[in-house]
Amino acid sequence: MSALAQRLAGFLHQPGFQAAVPVLILLLIGFFGPLVLVAVFSFMPARSFKLDGGPTLENYRFAFEQSYYLSLLRSFAFAAGTVAVLALVCYPVALGMAKLFGRYAGVLTLVMVLPLFVSENVRLFGWVLFLLKGGGVLAGAAKAVFGIELADMLYSNSATLMGLAYVYLPFMLFPMVLGLSMVSRDVVEAASDLGASRWQIMREIELPLALPGLLIGGLLTFVLSLGSLTESKVLGGSKVIMIAADIESAFTYGQNWPLGSALSVLLLVLAGGLVLVVLSKLNLDAILKRR
Amino acid sequence: MSWTPTRRHFMQMTGAASAALAAGALLPGRAHAARDKELNIFCWEGYNSDVVLDPFRKEFGATVKAETQTSDPEAVNRLRAGESKVWDLINLNNPWARKSLWPDGLIKELDRARFEPYFDKMLPAFKPPYRWAMSDDGKHLLGMCQRFGPFSFVVNTDKISREMAEDQGFDLFNDDKHAGKFGILTFDDWNVYHMCIGAGVHPFRPHTEPEFQAYEKVARKWVKNAKFLGGDPVQMNLALINGEIDFYCTGGTYTASPARFDGKTNIRGITPKKGPMDGKGGIVWIEVTSVINNPDGSPLAYDFLEYVQRPDVAKVVAFAEGTYNTVAQMGNPKVLSQFSKEELDAVQWDSLEEEIANSYEYDINPDYPRMIEILNAAKRER
Repeated sequence: MSALAQRLAGFLHQPGFQAAVPVLILLLIGFFGPLVLVAVFSFMPARSFKLDGGPTLENYRFAFEQSYYLSLLRSFAFAAGTVAVLALVCYPVALGMAKLFGRYAGVLTLVMVLPLFVSENVRLFGWVLFLLKGGGVLAGAAKAVFGIELADMLYSNSATLMGLAYVYLPFMLFPMVLGLSMVSRDVVEAASDLGASRWQIMREIELPLALPGLLIGGLLTFVLSLGSLTESKVLGGSKVIMIAADIESAFTYGQNWPLGSALSVLLLVLAGGLVLVVLSKLNLDAILKRR
Repeated sequence: MSWTPTRRHFMQMTGAASAALAAGALLPGRAHAARDKELNIFCWEGYNSDVVLDPFRKEFGATVKAETQTSDPEAVNRLRAGESKVWDLINLNNPWARKSLWPDGLIKELDRARFEPYFDKMLPAFKPPYRWAMSDDGKHLLGMCQRFGPFSFVVNTDKISREMAEDQGFDLFNDDKHAGKFGILTFDDWNVYHMCIGAGVHPFRPHTEPEFQAYEKVARKWVKNAKFLGGDPVQMNLALINGEIDFYCTGGTYTASPARFDGKTNIRGITPKKGPMDGKGGIVWIEVTSVINNPDGSPLAYDFLEYVQRPDVAKVVAFAEGTYNTVAQMGNPKVLSQFSKEELDAVQWDSLEEEIANSYEYDINPDYPRMIEILNAAKRER
């Protein structure tokens, strides 16, 4: 016990820890504090706006009794779909940017980053104008130039998925580029010299070595799309209700902060749990150290 | 009154600003500083517009901050949660001042001698003592009126004639023939009221179990049959103009006016001719702006209430930004004469009197919490 106390005292006296104290306090108040508040609110009686009610599990019971599992499942499905689409779309681009494009990679990076400077909502409404039936950019042009009537493209689940993939593309792409640039050219060349096929190189050299980047990109896009809201509203016409939309509705029109908090906690626990499981299985530290 | 993602994004930023504002106001040192040169307004969008506020800032040398709110009940709850220490003026739809804010001591009364004469110059319906501006006992003046408008649904008259829409009312949405031909603008509280009307149920009275069932049936049907649900009036109007849909609810002059002012006069707000609210089938909202019972309130609040009554400012408020609305001050020829023919047409001045006559005045739905849950479940299980 005293050894532990000594170690703790030693830790507290470390200049590194002491220097980190201000930031630590800021994080505790600014990052951890609101989360704690949400967690506490989730145990307050429904529709209360104060934290003085007795703790109750009523909100969680309500969340399980109602069909919120539908929103949760759909959010997870869309998040998984987004990761899958982005993995396929981004891999070739990332490979090009890391290995092939040379100085043009910088230009491409700029092109990919630029949209991030424009609000997500504005970009999604741009897509609405583009995909709109009748006078939309795409449908209007197709009709004027080729004389063909395009089918409806907006307000469907595929439009939502497209929107998610579009908005979160940079979050997959750049970690992937980093990951792939960690793959040394010498290793690839050595494998090639030893007679590995292109497919073998990708499977046995590139993918394992680039895994940290792929993993971080996948996790980022997964978690971001899990909490997404606007894509399904604007492009999907609320064909599906994402869990974030349910949370928003509980806090606003529903005026039920405790229910919204309970849903948030559920999402947080599920997403956090999943991330932890994935990370523990793949042990990011070991992968990073191996490099 | 609107709920658009773009605006919400803007509000995320102003939210941070207002949080800082709130924090500042709660600091003990500042609590009793003189506030005769600053004014904080919590309002539906329009009053926060610089075209309204800048001349006031200049004339009174004041720092004016305004935040737009997105739903009446939410705004009321924020005041209850302590923000009455932050704001000086609150702009809400009609029932809240009289039925909620005044009984709870959240607003102050206005000097009747100073403010009632303004009601004399408004449209005849607002003649003093105007019910929604008064307390229940009829003794206290609780706020000033300005913007108002019928709010039911909007059609493309090229597809569905005004007469047909007015005759059928919300049954248009009940008809399976129209599945996939309409949208739902997700102003959720209004959706609840309109779905009640569609079910033949009075939205503003306590409901029986069979009425809840009828409401749920309609809610599920509309959500299922809708082509899409969206939070932005502009998106709804675009879908109407481009033929994706033929009509949408929730809507009215408030949502149709920007499209109409843009020349698309085939987009029209409709007030049903009949319905379950004492025979009426449409709803009209009337905004009431009240002085908040802020312990350290700004004296400028009263000046601002007078300022927006000026004919030129009333016109600016009517056409502030994003949405265009009729204002009670149009009863004054000096105000009315400032509107061009196109502007009057945008706010459907031609049918206003008739629409108001067919509309029930917006009120509080006593069963809203349960009904909103039913609507949310219908959306999830769509």
